[in-house]
Amino acid sequence: MTAEIIDPTQHFHASTAVTPTDAARPETLAGLRIGLLGNTKRNADSILDAIGARLADRHAQIALIPRTKTQFAMPLPVELVEELIRDCDVVVIGVGDCGSCSASAVADAIALESVGIPTAVICTDAFVQPSSAMAGLKGAPDFPYLLTAHPIANLTADGVEERGEQLAAQVEARLIGSTRTVAAA
Amino acid sequence: MSEHVAVALDPDVATGVAEELYGRGWTDGLPALPATEESVQRFLATTQRAEDEVAAHHPQLERHVTVRDVAVSAVMAGCLPEYFPVVLAAWDALSAERAALGGGWQSTSGPGPLIVVNGPIRHQLAINSESGVLGPGFRANATIPRAIGLTVRNGFGIRPRELEQATIGTVGRWQLCIGENEEASPWEPLSEEAGVEPGVSAVAATLVRTFEVVDNRSFTSAQEVLGDFVDTIQRSGALIGRHSPTGILLNPAHAQLFADAGMSKQDVREWIVARAGRTEAELQAVGKGLSHLPGGPFAADHRHPTLADAKPATLPIIVAGSSNAAMSMVFRVLGLWSGRSFPVR
Repeated sequence: MTAEIIDPTQHFHASTAVTPTDAARPETLAGLRIGLLGNTKRNADSILDAIGARLADRHAQIALIPRTKTQFAMPLPVELVEELIRDCDVVVIGVGDCGSCSASAVADAIALESVGIPTAVICTDAFVQPSSAMAGLKGAPDFPYLLTAHPIANLTADGVEERGEQLAAQVEARLIGSTRTVAAA
Repeated sequence: MSEHVAVALDPDVATGVAEELYGRGWTDGLPALPATEESVQRFLATTQRAEDEVAAHHPQLERHVTVRDVAVSAVMAGCLPEYFPVVLAAWDALSAERAALGGGWQSTSGPGPLIVVNGPIRHQLAINSESGVLGPGFRANATIPRAIGLTVRNGFGIRPRELEQATIGTVGRWQLCIGENEEASPWEPLSEEAGVEPGVSAVAATLVRTFEVVDNRSFTSAQEVLGDFVDTIQRSGALIGRHSPTGILLNPAHAQLFADAGMSKQDVREWIVARAGRTEAELQAVGKGLSHLPGGPFAADHRHPTLADAKPATLPIIVAGSSNAAMSMVFRVLGLWSGRSFPVR
């Protein structure tokens, strides 16, 4: 007697994700409101601040809007999304430096892109796998996220400044869409 | 009879099925059983819950699993059908855990769910609560948590080195199911502390990162043993934030020692919480100062309590194991136990 063996993974293979779209890009960051969305991970806010300061050095009349996602592994709460739509023209997200927060940061970036906000999301290079897995799960397997060296939690103040300087140009390129900084392997 | 078995069972077929399940990537590294419509129906028959009812969901991945999906995992894990209501109650309990909802299955901590069963169902299902309670050898204790792990893997699609990113992981990650040794406890069981009526079978669960033994069998007073717990709980290795939720698997001999000294479970909790802590200087010396947190910077002699408060959710105490040597366990909670216990239904 034979019987068909049930595929225990059929449930998630069957889910059909809608292909998300990237937001339209501005030509310059000058005059824009730049959201800095930190996720409470150690040094995340400092690196975002350093990036913001570099961008403000290069462009006139940038407004920096720091915001915090308090539950780093959960989806963005609706109220925070509404606040970002209202208060920001573009958003920098980071820093994904753990298994759940890296994937979550990429999901947040894809979600914000789909409501019209250009994003630059930063993950550390130890978490390419969950970041790419999440991008694929959300229907955007080639979604470009920016990588920075792991770890960041133990960077000194000087190290944070240096990292911010390294990342600022990539963030700008991603936000204005001048190059596609595809990091996913 | 043995002749009949030899005819009826074909070991080559069993091996072939096991290899097929490995090959499809559906197992946790151990052989699993095939789920068929017939076997799944036997499990579904043990519950009143509809097979398409959502049993657990994962907000970040936007995935959910149904009662039927959990039944498939329970079959594959080697559960008996009658274990299935406990597996579902374990998912009820895990669904109340913020860490489990918030990415805990993907965490670098690689935590395992500790499932604690109270009430008469422990005896009905032969769930071990006595000697070797965390060890192997008991089918219900071994397969109920494995069903949770297979659901995480196959139902949510969270696999190692993909969405799951455990740095090292937890010993026995999908093997942590115990009964509370209510018969040897001088106090009310965990489920009653969580508001469940006495005599009702119920399940509590939380995500744990590691266990550490407190081997204290030559004590002469309750204070000595309590002090030993404090020493283990405040150990800096487990500390990553302002507070570090912790639980105790309390040996019945230790529990009885405390009860004989006139202490309730809450008295024990308060004694430990009042004393477990480290100074800012001690934490700084191991690179774990907390001066970057709100309220900082802190003076060198500022004392940081290890536990936020003396509530059951912050320091759950579960009596388990045998009294043949007075060894207890301290376990490290990832996140915070909800403090809830869910009736088996």
